[in-house]
Formats: sequence, C-alpha cells, structure tokens
Amino acid sequence: MNDRLFLKLLIVTLTVCITLTFLHLAYAIYAYQHCSIIYFIGKELW
Amino acid sequence: MKKTVQRICLLFLIAVIFALFNICMYALFSRRLANNFSDTSQSKMIDVSKYLPHEKGSSLARIDSSLKLKTDLPVLDGAAALVPVYAAIIDNVYPVGSVTYEGGTFSDDNYYGENFADDSKMQYQNTVRGYRAIVDGTTDILFCAAPSTEQRSYAEEKGVTLTYVPIGLEAFVFFVNENNPINDITVSDIRRIYAGEITNWKTLGGADRIINPITRLAGSGSQSAMDSFMGDKKIGKKSPFAITGASIGFSFRYYMDGIVENDSVKMLSLNGVYPSEENIRNGTYPIIAQFYAIFREDNENPNIPILIDWILSDEGQAVIAESGYVRIQ
Repeated sequence: MNDRLFLKLLIVTLTVCITLTFLHLAYAIYAYQHCSIIYFIGKELW
Repeated sequence: MKKTVQRICLLFLIAVIFALFNICMYALFSRRLANNFSDTSQSKMIDVSKYLPHEKGSSLARIDSSLKLKTDLPVLDGAAALVPVYAAIIDNVYPVGSVTYEGGTFSDDNYYGENFADDSKMQYQNTVRGYRAIVDGTTDILFCAAPSTEQRSYAEEKGVTLTYVPIGLEAFVFFVNENNPINDITVSDIRRIYAGEITNWKTLGGADRIINPITRLAGSGSQSAMDSFMGDKKIGKKSPFAITGASIGFSFRYYMDGIVENDSVKMLSLNGVYPSEENIRNGTYPIIAQFYAIFREDNENPNIPILIDWILSDEGQAVIAESGYVRIQ
C-alpha cells in the first residue's frame, strides 16, 4: 500500500466514522428532548 | 508488506474505536430514547385514542349525568395526564358530535398524536401550549397542574386574569429504575439531590453509582411542580458523567400508575409514606398537588360556571375518582 492510497483510505475511514458518529449524536440530542423519561429510566442498565 | 499490514491494522483500529464509542453510546443512552406510546421520538405523552369521548371501548369514567349541555359548549383542553378527566366530562355532559376530527376520523399519525378539528370541543395541546391557548382565548377551560412563573407572567403581560378552580388531588412522585435498591427517600434528600449536594446513591445507602437527576421541559406541569417543591434551593448543574449513572425522575402518580403503567420503574416512598390513593386522601403523603380547571375571568360563555359547578358536585367528583384521581371534596 503506497502512501497516497493509505492517505486516501485514512481520509475515507475518518470521514465515514466521524459522519456516522455525528449523526448518532445529533439523533440522540434530538430524541432526548422528545423521549419519555419514564421509558428512559425504565431502560437503564443495572 | 509489513508496512501495508500495519496500515490496514491502523485503519481497522480507527473503525473499531469509533464503533465501540457508538455501541457504548447506544447501550447507555440512545437505546433508551423512545416514547411510551409510539415507536418514534415524537411528543406523544399519552395514547389519546384510548380516551375519545362517545366512542365504544374508550377507557373513560361513565356515569348517569344529570347535566346535559346542548349549546354554547366550552372548548376543553389540558395536560396529557388529565386527558382521561376532561374527555370523560365531555363524554358524560356533551352531545354526540361535539368532538370532531380533521378528515372525519381520529388519527394520531402526526407530531402531536391527535387530529382534533378546529371546531372540536375537545382539544389536546398539553400544558405548555394549553396555557397559551387559554390566555389567547382559543380554549375555554384548561385542565392542568399549577402554572409556572412564566405562564403566570404571560397572562399578566396579555392583561388576562385567569381563574383557577381546584377540582382534584394528585401526588407529586419521584421514581427510579425497578432494580435500584432504594425504595424510600426523604423530602430533604430529594432537594439535596436536585441541588447537586448529593451525587452518589451510596450516600443514601444505595448502590455506588452516580445519581442522574432528570428534569423536564420548562413550563410542563411536572417541572413547574418541581420548581415549586425546591423552594429556595435551585436545581443545580449535574456532572456530564451523570448520564452513565442511575437516574431519578419525577411525575404525577396517576400519569405513572394509571396511564403509562411501566413496570420497569417504581415510585419511591417519601419520608416512609408511599404515594397511594389512600395516602393522598388522608393527607399523609408529603407532596400533594391540586389540579385545576382554569378559565379566563372575562369569558362570557354561560356554560362555564355551570360546568365548573357540575365538576365540583358529587357527579363530577365521581368522574374524577373513577378516572383514577382523588376527589377534592
């Protein structure tokens, strides 16, 4: 794998990962404002 | 070749780190973001379809009412938790056909979870929008908990005087996950938790977990009740790590016990007293809240005082009790 190809793959991997994580965060912030806190607490990990 | 393998491993590692972060966030947070009454994250606090007046199979308190209104029907609106009450009032007192829907039939396939037509005598705007509607004059009687300071100010700004008639009693309750070993808490400890003075359940004899004190939408009935409960203490800022901890929330008893009925949470006793109907009635539960029928003082609809008198009568109070709440009288 030459440097150029590695750099391309690195940029693609980071872009995909950051985009998906950002979308997940955006969904979480939006959904938290509209969710039921009863359901939220009921689904807590113990 | 070795360098290529190292580079592939690095790319793979980056993907794994992001995947792990997202999996953890899903397990701790996103998985829990849903609604009690729908698969989508919309503002649906109650399944209104269960409480439609004049419909067979509705879960409404039905009595043999001596009052039957025919004209000048006041528009009723209110909080999610009080839909069973004011829908039952319409069911018992208003004529068939007074509740209408856009398109002719009920649908909850929209943001607010209902499609009452503009001319319908039943509306459901919940507390925040409901207070605006009563002040603006688009609703005649609002069924809600006590208003927030902002809601009182909004009425004052508009030069509107609202009349608050207490029509029933309800317990303001605190709840935790069913697996949380804490069952009883004191009023003082609740205030200290929300003020940020107690941050771990261990302090109260529970598990060694951070406390995540959850608040509600500003202006909602339960948040206004909480602000009032806190008195001089202010609700403190919580640690960002609180999200990983064990939560505590608040609501009204019947909303939790009679409407949502989620077995994965439990209500806490306060100062050793459980928020049962009997303990509200006998006054031993420490935080009892009144709920109100609210109307504009200058509203000239002649049926408003008639309806209010009926709600306070034996018949009206029977509807309140059969709807799951506690009589005011």
